Amino acid sequence: MIIGVVLLLVFFLVNISIGSVYIPIPQLIHGLLGADLDKASWETILFLYRIPKAITAVLVGISLSVSGLQMQTFFRNPLAGPYVLGISSGAGLGVAIMIMGGSALGITFSSSSNYMTWGIWGIIISGSLGAILVLLLMSLTAWKIKDSMTLLIIGLMFGSASGAVVSVLSYFGNAEDLKLFTIWSMGSLGGISGTQLEILSIICFIGIIPVIALLKSYNAMLMGERYATSMGVNIKSLRWAMILSTGLLAGSATAFCGPIAFIGIAVPHLARMIFRTGDHRILFPASALIGSCFLLISDAISQIPGSAETLPINVITSLFGAPLVIWLILKRNLSSEF
Amino acid sequence: MVKDKYILTGQNVSIGYKKGKSSKKIGASLTFKLQKEKLTCLLGPNGVGKSTFIKTIMGQLPSLEGSINFGHLPVQEIDAKLLAKKISVVLTDRISPGNLSVAQLVSLGRTPFTNWIGKLTLEDKEIVNEAMKATKTYYLKDQLVSELSDGQLQKVMIARALAQDGDLIILDEPTAHLDLVNRYEIMHLLREVTQNKHKSILVITHDLDIAIETADELWIMQCGDPLLCGTPEDLILSGKINKLLPSEELSFDSNTGKIRPKSFPLPPSIKGPQPITQWLNLALQKNSISLSEETSIHVTEAPLTFEISRPNFVFKAQSVQEVLQFLQKNN
Repeated sequence: MIIGVVLLLVFFLVNISIGSVYIPIPQLIHGLLGADLDKASWETILFLYRIPKAITAVLVGISLSVSGLQMQTFFRNPLAGPYVLGISSGAGLGVAIMIMGGSALGITFSSSSNYMTWGIWGIIISGSLGAILVLLLMSLTAWKIKDSMTLLIIGLMFGSASGAVVSVLSYFGNAEDLKLFTIWSMGSLGGISGTQLEILSIICFIGIIPVIALLKSYNAMLMGERYATSMGVNIKSLRWAMILSTGLLAGSATAFCGPIAFIGIAVPHLARMIFRTGDHRILFPASALIGSCFLLISDAISQIPGSAETLPINVITSLFGAPLVIWLILKRNLSSEF
Repeated sequence: MVKDKYILTGQNVSIGYKKGKSSKKIGASLTFKLQKEKLTCLLGPNGVGKSTFIKTIMGQLPSLEGSINFGHLPVQEIDAKLLAKKISVVLTDRISPGNLSVAQLVSLGRTPFTNWIGKLTLEDKEIVNEAMKATKTYYLKDQLVSELSDGQLQKVMIARALAQDGDLIILDEPTAHLDLVNRYEIMHLLREVTQNKHKSILVITHDLDIAIETADELWIMQCGDPLLCGTPEDLILSGKINKLLPSEELSFDSNTGKIRPKSFPLPPSIKGPQPITQWLNLALQKNSISLSEETSIHVTEAPLTFEISRPNFVFKAQSVQEVLQFLQKNN
């Protein structure tokens, strides 16, 4: 675990040093300790752009992997991820309505003047609204339905339904709007700073509290719902906590950065394999660490060191992450580890 | 102080599921008293409501009528967290506790007692170790649960229930899909636990022989009938145990303690030493061969010969199979 924290710091430094302008790591440490940097432009790049982006990567990495861990344990299903309750599809729907539905009403969102006025806030707000809407619907369902498997299926259905509405909007949307939406849906860690970053941190922090408080219940859930009940775990309140926590974490991560694939499902499995345990008191910090490290590395790679181009983060997480996980699964027996 | 002999009592309890206004009654007027520190086996055919009964006892399902009391309090009124300290269970649910070692799984039994993060105190660890020792699973403690055999897993699950340290342990078919040796081992283990660890145990099982051999008391649940409770020996001697076998063709053999088909008299035309003639008769019954009037079979031991005599000839066979083949051809 200590190694993990050290690695996280290293990756953090590497991440902020790499980009279209390379900043040497010793300089970075000087800068972070308050000394002046060799070039004044570095300071601007570092504090206005790179550090907020790296912090975003850490927060989103934590949010997604911790949501995934909760889902997988609660539903006792290795394929569950932060997206199964349809919350990020809801966020996607919100953004799609904002971008493409807006143009149907005569507001061309993609035109630069409107983008400047609405900017990233518009996307964040519409994404959050979409996520909150689905979260409310899911809560209503959870209130009516006692069976967890049904909840899982209904979540997937919400996801499909939102996806369908997004498709309809895309079909009728104009080319620029469509491109804007597509770029959003590929995910991006950049562009979040100042107040936005503060809000993201606060939501992330609030979303994590119920997880920490319920680590013991999640351990009991390893034996399934009925055993957990017999050990005094209140499944009903655990379910509420899970919906709220993943809703906040995955919902905010998606609203701020777009649907970032892969982290939520794969990182908890990586944590189980690396730490060889089922104990959530270890898995929770481990997933958070691995999730942040993974996103920091992915972001560093997406800068394509030495070039000014940046690839969308989703491309990297899936392109490099998927083979890694396949390799791990082939090497070790996933089903016996879950 | 008579009441203290019993840990769990119920008076005219009806169990079943409620859905909206309609309710589906599964068992009615169940009256029972579970003895403290004794092993009780609940028997009954599939679908009679044994699992529903257990859910009701655990307070997970409200009873439709009447109430089940744990000690002096109705289970419905006991807080779930407190009840978890009193009653622990071994269920039929398959578990997939990936990556957990046996010791970790057994430690989960301490969940109701540990602090918010689930830290085990020295006392907790001692109880966990004791539970593993009592179930003879201590040597497995560092092994992964996913690597255990079914028999070992079942013992570990019992250890977990033991570590939960309630006064009452309920097991739902703990011996299902286990081999004969493991069935005996598990039931004898449970008996030891009642005596050495002072636990009261209620086991749902279909193994009548083993239940008779190990249980202090049997509860027989039969559709529509009140619960039949008593010492196994008393139930056998009074013939009440036949309640388990509503079918006409089966009956309980009070000599051997086994279930047998009812009509099984040895025909007078078969003569010879006891065990051999019985097995021969069983073979004939199975193949629905009845001996014609003029046929008689004489069995002699060492060397084993079956002499089939008819008025006109005698056939000597060396095995039951040969007898069957001859009779199937010539009967």
